[in-house]
This record gives sequence, structure tokens and C-alpha cells, in this order.
Amino acid sequence: MIDYNAILYDPVYAELGVPAMMTHTAGVSEITVIDDTRTKSLTTGSLETKSVGPGAFARVPELTSLGVDRSDYDGSLLSFNGRIWAIRSHELRGSPNGEDQGEVRFLLKASA
Amino acid sequence: MIDVRENVLARLVVIVATIPNIKSAQRNNVDMSEEQLPAAIVFDGDEETDDRSDVSMRPPNRPTLVTMLPEIVIAQQSDQAGSDITTLRRELIKRVLYDTELNNNIVKTGRNGNGAIRYLGCQTDVGWMRSLHGALRAQFMFKYVLNPADL
Repeated sequence: MIDYNAILYDPVYAELGVPAMMTHTAGVSEITVIDDTRTKSLTTGSLETKSVGPGAFARVPELTSLGVDRSDYDGSLLSFNGRIWAIRSHELRGSPNGEDQGEVRFLLKASA
Repeated sequence: MIDVRENVLARLVVIVATIPNIKSAQRNNVDMSEEQLPAAIVFDGDEETDDRSDVSMRPPNRPTLVTMLPEIVIAQQSDQAGSDITTLRRELIKRVLYDTELNNNIVKTGRNGNGAIRYLGCQTDVGWMRSLHGALRAQFMFKYVLNPADL
């Protein structure tokens, strides 16, 4: 069976990933994330307000190996690229090897 | 020249600029950035009369009553977007309905004339962006005299 972490995710994260500090209920972990902050707008009547939808990808196997369970994701703090964010929600991205070997996309918000 | 419609809309921009904490008070701007929030935008409203059913011999240049329905959007981004919007709404309604210049000199409500100012209602929007985004569209009705001789 092809190991997609070895041939796909690991090389991609080695190239595009940046170091991040994840502060969760079990402590603080150093992980690698890919910044996925996107432009975002919201329309109210005729008014369009432009902002960003901050997000980051991480590898589930890396998080699991550090003892970060899925139940720890939401509410944790994620610091990378000079900013500190709070994880408000997350989306699991499956992989050919199953969701436990895939990615998670953290949906972030400005940290209070 | 007296253009009540324009005077009402211009006055509304002045009024929303006095709402505490408003950073941007503008008219008909449809494109805002998060750095401009909290914002209050006045949108020119549709205007209508009851003259469609008037088949009398009244000369066309006689004064008539018109109603205008401008919309005011207030928007904010913060962890407390909901309560922030509630506070901005309260200040907006109060300031529009109590404004002396609007009531006495422009629309001429009550003892000053047969104009009227009404708050019709509002709709809300929320969504996630950098932080929680909240917005509110409030509609008001202004009834006033359109005198072609004043235009």
C-alpha cells in the first residue's frame, strides 16, 4: 500500500510548512502547519465587507504522535507566522490511507 | 432650492457619525474593509407617492406627499459582535427618531408640519471572518412634502 504521508504530505509540509506552537489542554506542542488564510467577504444588503478567513492545515499523524487528540483541537491556541490565533472549529480532510493519516484544517479566529 | 430628500439623506450621515465608537460613517459605500469597522453606511432609499391613483384636475406642479425608505447598515467585527450591534442599533434608532434638525426643520413632523419619521425594522447577518462579524440593516420611513416649486 502506498504511504501518502511519505510521498505526499511530508514533502509538501517540508516545503510549504512553517513552525507553529499549539497550546492545548495537555500542554504546548511544536508542530508544522501550512498557512491557509484566505480572503473572505460578507455581504449585507448592498454592503460588502472584506476581511480574511484565517486557517491552517496540519497533519493528523503529527498531532496524534504528540498526544493531541481531536477533542483538544477546538479552543486551542495556534501561533505561527507572527500571529496568535484561537482554533474555533476544524475540518478533517481524508486521505487515501484514511482520515487518521490525513490532514486537518483548523478554522481560526483572532485571539482575544 | 430645497430638496428634502437630499437634506434627509445628508442629515442621516451626520447623525450616524455621532454614534459612539463608529469609525466610518459614509453614504452609499458598498465596499468596506475590516479596518473601517465599526461602520454605519446610509443607503439612498426608494421614493414613492400616492399620486398614481390621483386622477383629479390638480395641476402637476402642486405639492404632494412622498415617502422615502432609506436603509442604514451598521457592521462590526469583534468577539462581542452581537452585543456590539445591539448597542449600535439602540443608538441609531434613538438618534434618528429624536433628531431635532430632522424632525423640526427638514421633515417637519408634529406641530411643524405633516411629515413623519418611522423606524420600520431591521434584519441581521452574522458570519466568521478574522473574528465574528455582525451586521444590521435598519429601514426607516420618511414622509415629507415634495414641492416642485422648491426644487
